[in-house]
Amino acid sequence: MVGPLEQAILALMIFVIMLGMGASLTPRDFTLALKRPYGLMIGVVSQYGFMPLIGFILATTLPVSDTIKIGILIMACMPGGTTSNIFTYFSKGNLALSVLMTVTSTVFGVILIPLVLVLYAGALDLDIPRENIIATLVLLLVPVAIGMVLRKLNANVGAVTEFMGSMLAIFFILFLIVSWIPRNWEFLLTTTWATYFGSIVLGLFGFALGYGFSALLRLHPRNARTVALETGIQNGPLAIAIIAFTFAGTEAQAVMAVPVLYSLFIVITSTMLTLWFRQVNTANEQPLPNGLL
Amino acid sequence: MTDQIHPWTAFYGPSVRKTIDAPAYRTIGDFVSATAELYGDRPAFTVCLPNGMNGTLSYAQADEMSDAMAVYLREIAGLTTGDRVAIQMPNCLAYPIAAMAVFKAGCVVVNVNPLYTAEEMAKQFADAQPAAIFVVDMFADKLVETMQGHPIPNVIVTRIAEYMPAMPRGIVGLVQKYWDKTIKPITIPHIRLPDAVKAGRAKHAQTHNALEGYRRAIEPDDVACLQYTGGTTGVSKGAMLTHANILMNMEQTMELIEQFEKGKEVALTALPLYHVFAFTVNFLGMFSQGAQNILIPNPRPLSNLKRAFENYKITWISGVNTLFNGLNGEIWFQDTPPKHLKFASSGGMALQGSVAEQWETLTGRPVLEGYGLTESSPILTFNPYGKSRVNSIGVPLPSTEVKCVDEDGVDVPQGDPGELIARGPQIMKGYWNMPEETAKTLQNGWLLTGDVGVMDEDGYFRIVDRKKDMILVSGFNVYPNEIEDTLAAHPGVDEVAVIGVPDGASGEAVKAFIVKRDETLDQNAIRAYCKEHLTAYKVPKSVTFRDELPKSNVGKILRKDLRAEEQTKVENA
Repeated sequence: MVGPLEQAILALMIFVIMLGMGASLTPRDFTLALKRPYGLMIGVVSQYGFMPLIGFILATTLPVSDTIKIGILIMACMPGGTTSNIFTYFSKGNLALSVLMTVTSTVFGVILIPLVLVLYAGALDLDIPRENIIATLVLLLVPVAIGMVLRKLNANVGAVTEFMGSMLAIFFILFLIVSWIPRNWEFLLTTTWATYFGSIVLGLFGFALGYGFSALLRLHPRNARTVALETGIQNGPLAIAIIAFTFAGTEAQAVMAVPVLYSLFIVITSTMLTLWFRQVNTANEQPLPNGLL
Repeated sequence: MTDQIHPWTAFYGPSVRKTIDAPAYRTIGDFVSATAELYGDRPAFTVCLPNGMNGTLSYAQADEMSDAMAVYLREIAGLTTGDRVAIQMPNCLAYPIAAMAVFKAGCVVVNVNPLYTAEEMAKQFADAQPAAIFVVDMFADKLVETMQGHPIPNVIVTRIAEYMPAMPRGIVGLVQKYWDKTIKPITIPHIRLPDAVKAGRAKHAQTHNALEGYRRAIEPDDVACLQYTGGTTGVSKGAMLTHANILMNMEQTMELIEQFEKGKEVALTALPLYHVFAFTVNFLGMFSQGAQNILIPNPRPLSNLKRAFENYKITWISGVNTLFNGLNGEIWFQDTPPKHLKFASSGGMALQGSVAEQWETLTGRPVLEGYGLTESSPILTFNPYGKSRVNSIGVPLPSTEVKCVDEDGVDVPQGDPGELIARGPQIMKGYWNMPEETAKTLQNGWLLTGDVGVMDEDGYFRIVDRKKDMILVSGFNVYPNEIEDTLAAHPGVDEVAVIGVPDGASGEAVKAFIVKRDETLDQNAIRAYCKEHLTAYKVPKSVTFRDELPKSNVGKILRKDLRAEEQTKVENA
C-alpha cells in the first residue's frame, strides 16, 4: 500500500517540513509562549486529551479489526500537522499560535504520545512498540533545531527555508495523493465503511471539540479557529512514517490504512472548514488605516 | 535679548546651536555624496519583509547607483534641470536610489502615494507635469489610465525586492506574481530600474564631468521637492521645498537631538518615505547620522514588524500615534520590547498622552512628539530628550520662531490660545502654480499653520486643535483633541474621533465616534466617564460606535470625513 519509494518521500518530506518549521521559529517565540501559556495549554489539552479520547471511543465502538484500531489510535495521538499552519493562514487565524502549537505538541509529543498511546492501547489490549515511536519523535526534533540555527545565522536563508518547507509540503501531499490513489484503487474499494467513517470523523470531531473548548474558555475567535484547525489536523505523514518504521509487512500496511485515509480526507474537510471560517469572520485584524501607514 | 523672545532656547542641550546660519551643503546631492564618502561600506538601507527576507545597500552603493541613475535621467532619458520626476513606491531599496538620483540630476522629486487611485494620480500629474516616473510594478497598471491625459515620457519600473539577494528576490517575485497576483502586466513602454542603472553607469564612464555639470546648474534655493499636501483639508497643493529648506530642516532636527551617535544608529522606518516626515527625518536625517535604516514596505498588519524588531538592534523608531497605539497592543511587542531603543519620535498627528505613557512603561523609553507641516519641510518643534512633556509639541527648533496670534495677526498674551505661525529657513517657497493659496498661507515671511496653539510660560508649545475643527457649544470653544485624549485614556476605548454636529439648542454639539476595545461599553458608560473628567459642555451629547474610523494614508483620523457623513445625514433627513 505504501511502498519504499513513498516511504522515502515521506521521510524526506517530514524532514523538509520540520526544517521549514524550525526556520520559522526563534527562541523568542518560545519565551513568548511560556510567558502566556494559556492558549498553548488549551492546545496541548485538546491535542493529547481530546484527540486520543475520540480515537479511543471510535476504536471501541466501530466494528473494525485490531490492526485498524491501532491505526486509529496512532492517528489520534499524533501531534499537530504542519498543514494546519497553511489552513490557519487562509482562515485568517493566528498563524504564530498555530506554528507554536504544532511545535509544542511535537516537542511534548516525545513524552506524551507514547504515554497516551500505551494507556489507551493497554485499555484495548493492543501491543504498541513505544521505544520505536520515541526514537522517531526525537529524530523529528533534529531538523527543527537545524532550522532554528539557520534562521539565527542568516535571516534570508531562514526565510527561504521556511518558504521552501511549506511549498514542498504542498507539493509532496499532492504528489502522494495523485500517485497513490490509482495504484490503490482496489484497497479503497475493499475497505469497510467503518474504517472510512473512523478516518473522516476523527478530524471532524477534532475540529468541533477544539473550537467548542476554546469558545467555552472565551478565547478570541481568531484563536478559537486556530485551535480548531490545530486539533483536527494531525500529522498524518508522521503516523505513516512511524508505522513504517515500527511495524513490518502486511501488518504495517493494515495499520497504515487509517492514517492514509485520514490524510486524504483531512485535506478536503480542512479546505471546507477554512472556506466556512473565512465567510463567518474575516475582519479581525487590528484596524489600521487602509494605507501603508 | 534673543532668549527673551525665544525663551525655549533655555531647554536646548549644552552643545545645541541656537541658530544655524546656513546648511552645511549646497544641495542634497552634495550632502549625499559627502556623507557616503564618510560611511562607505556601512549599511545605509536595509529592506525587511514580514518573513525576515532582507537586502541591504551600503552608503557607497547607494551613492554610486544614484550617480548612475542621475546620469541616466539626464543623458539617456533627456531630462534637464528643474524637470519634475514622480516617485511612486512603498519603502524599498529602489526608493533611496531614485530620490538621490533625482536630486543629483538637478531635477525635482514629486512623491506620489502608491495607493492613490488613477484619478488622484492624474490630478497630481496634471499639476506637476512630471517628465519621468519611478513606479513599483504592483501599481504600474494604474499608469495606463492615468497617462491618457498626461503622458509621462519616461517610465522606470522597480519592485519591492529590488536589489535583494537573488534567491529571496526570486521568491518574492514569484509569490507576488502567481500567488498574491499583485503584479499585473505593464502595457506601456518602460525600463526596469536595474537596467536604467546599468545604462547610466556605462554612460557615466564616457562622460566624465557630467554630474559636476548638473550640480553647478542648481542653487540652494532651487526647488528640490514638490511635496503634495492637503489630504486632511481638501484641495491638494504642491509645497515647493528647496534644497536649502530640506537640508536646513534635517540639520535643525538633528541638532536638537543629541542622543544620536554617528555611525551607530539603527532606525526603523515603518512610515512611508513618501511622507514628508519620513522623507526629511528618516531618510535624509538618519543618512546624515551614518545610521542603518530598516525600511518596512508594508507595516500592515503590525505583526509585519516583528521580524525587523527581532533581527535588528533598533535604536530609534518614528511613527504616528496610530502606530504606537497599535504596537502597545501587540502581544509580541509587549513581551519583548526593543532592548536597544533610545527613544521614539512621533509626528503627523497629536500623540495621545495615554499612548505615550503606555509606550514608555512598556519600552522604558520616551516617545518624543514633534510638530510641523509639509509646508515647513516639515519639522517646526520637537520635545528635547529628557525634557519632554505630555501633550506638548515641545520647543521650536534652532533658527525657528513660533508664536500665537489672534484673528488679526496680533500676538496674543503668552498662555492664551492663538493660531500658530512660524518663521525659519525650513519654510517652503510657496505652492506650485498657486499664488493665491501661497499668499493666504505665507504672510510677511510667516507660515500660517491653521492650528490653534498655546505657548506655555517657559516657551513650550501645545496644540489645542485645528482651527477649523473647533466646536462651538453654546458659545464655548470646545477642542476635539481634548475630548479625544480623555476618551483614549479609557481602557475600553481603542480609537476615538470627536467632531461638532449642528444642534438646535446649543448651535453645535459634541459627537464622539468610538472603536471599542471592550465589547460591553455603551453610550451611558462613555458619558459617565466624560462627566467625571470634563466640564459639562464638553461631554459628548451623542456617541456612535464603529468598527473602524476613516483614516488618511498615514493613519491620521479624518474628522472631515465624519463631518461629511453627518452632513449628508442632515441633508437626507
